[in-house]
Amino acid sequence: MITREEVLAKTKKVIMDNVPEMIKGELTEDTVLNNETAIDSMGFILVVTKLEGMFDVHIPDDKWSKMITLGDIVDTVMKYLPKEEQ
Amino acid sequence: MRFSGFRHLLEYLAENRQDDTAFIYEDNGICRMTYGEFYVAVLLRSQQLQESGKTCIAVFADGSLASIIKIFAAVIGGLQTVMLDPSTPEEHLGELIRYADCDTVYGRQEHIDLCTPYLTDGIIDGTGRILFFTSGTTSRAKAVVLSDYSLMQSAWNGSQMLPLKEGDLLLSILPHAHVFGFVCTLLWPMFNAVPVALGRGVRHYIDDAQYFHPTVISVVPSLLNFMMKMNCLNDELRLILVGAGDCSDELMQAVKDKGIQLSFGYGLTETSSGVAISTGGDPRALDICPDDKITIAPDGEILIESRTCMMQGYYKYSSDTINTVQEGVLHTGDLGYIDDDGRLHLNGRKKDILVLSDGNKIYLPEYESEIAAAIGDDKIAVSLKNGRPVLVMENEADRDAIQAKINEINRLQTRSRQITDIITLGHPLPLTPSGKLQRWKLEKEIEDL
Repeated sequence: MITREEVLAKTKKVIMDNVPEMIKGELTEDTVLNNETAIDSMGFILVVTKLEGMFDVHIPDDKWSKMITLGDIVDTVMKYLPKEEQ
Repeated sequence: MRFSGFRHLLEYLAENRQDDTAFIYEDNGICRMTYGEFYVAVLLRSQQLQESGKTCIAVFADGSLASIIKIFAAVIGGLQTVMLDPSTPEEHLGELIRYADCDTVYGRQEHIDLCTPYLTDGIIDGTGRILFFTSGTTSRAKAVVLSDYSLMQSAWNGSQMLPLKEGDLLLSILPHAHVFGFVCTLLWPMFNAVPVALGRGVRHYIDDAQYFHPTVISVVPSLLNFMMKMNCLNDELRLILVGAGDCSDELMQAVKDKGIQLSFGYGLTETSSGVAISTGGDPRALDICPDDKITIAPDGEILIESRTCMMQGYYKYSSDTINTVQEGVLHTGDLGYIDDDGRLHLNGRKKDILVLSDGNKIYLPEYESEIAAAIGDDKIAVSLKNGRPVLVMENEADRDAIQAKINEINRLQTRSRQITDIITLGHPLPLTPSGKLQRWKLEKEIEDL
């Protein structure tokens, strides 16, 4: 079973690994990813795609624009985790 | 050869290229569909649609083969066909369905469930109409009415400027619900009997080129930038067609260094896609398509006349149509000039519209009104900084409270349209003596911050 804290930690790592040049300051759950971090739409696709592969989730395309903060991403990944992982 | 519409095109291909590959797609491995098979599938679906008695269908154009078949079937079957982007925020779907008079919908079950409560009784006769939504705010949904005739003429014009060759394979990765994606990743290759590899969605932007090995792709600037940055273009690629915006000099040079031809296309939804395409050494010098006439107004605005590709109008917005197309001349709102060789160059916007690097647009007065109402401050503007939308305010305010409101607004926008920063000027917004916002001055100021 994957905990929320694990998802948060791994999500931060994916962001830092894939778009390090765009990170400004510490990443918290309230960090607005389209603001402080300025991850552009393609960088965001890269991050979400990596997370989907890492956690074996499929986040519907129409949910992507709803993920505004880092916390939103974590919540969404948790929501779509396979049942046995929840 | 010109085609009068989708049926004419498919009949020709089924008769003359029956066993040639029309589409390559992934379905537990690479699969192929021939033109003959495609035509049969379209006719079958078309007959089913006609028998259903439906008059107007909304199609979630997700790029799949099934959605492409449905689009062609609906048009050939005489239904008004409404192109919907699957990434449309669900809060807006009901309004779009009602506005376009849809009485049936095609897409994933979740989309059908969301749209069904808003279906209407349909329309009397929408035969031949294909509706593409402009990228404005959905507080005022507005669709451009095109036809399979105008779209096929656009494909013909594109092919005259930039013909595809035997042996080419085009990778289709742009949304088909946008006219550039529909014409330049579907109709253009089909017109040339060149097979289309159907991309596997946004998750595969990074590896689709290496998977399908195309020789041609059509992209928007942000996608090209991403693909170059991730070094994911394949060696067989010979031509990249870029629409809906400009690229940096560095990006253009990087593409050139790979030995790939880079061409830009310029056009609007209102003109059924491109009216000018670069074919020579300078990608920013655009040759004007044969069916189109472009002139420059005294204030620099690009004016277009097109005998075959012009829209029928904005659906249910006749006054907007009259304002935009005056005596057959489309007032684009874009600024440009024509050089001594007769080539078009673009150099900005006249209208209150931001054009984003993924081709989406923001109609500023509507967007700013929405934001002003949400935050209770009308001394604001939306502008671009580093190519991304930012909110500009005259006065200091409770930043956390404003950010919270902006987050709510952002959740209803596609990602490229979301506000990415809040900038406080500390002085009044730059206005003309008549009180109109001087957007160019504002953009320059915040770029310099």
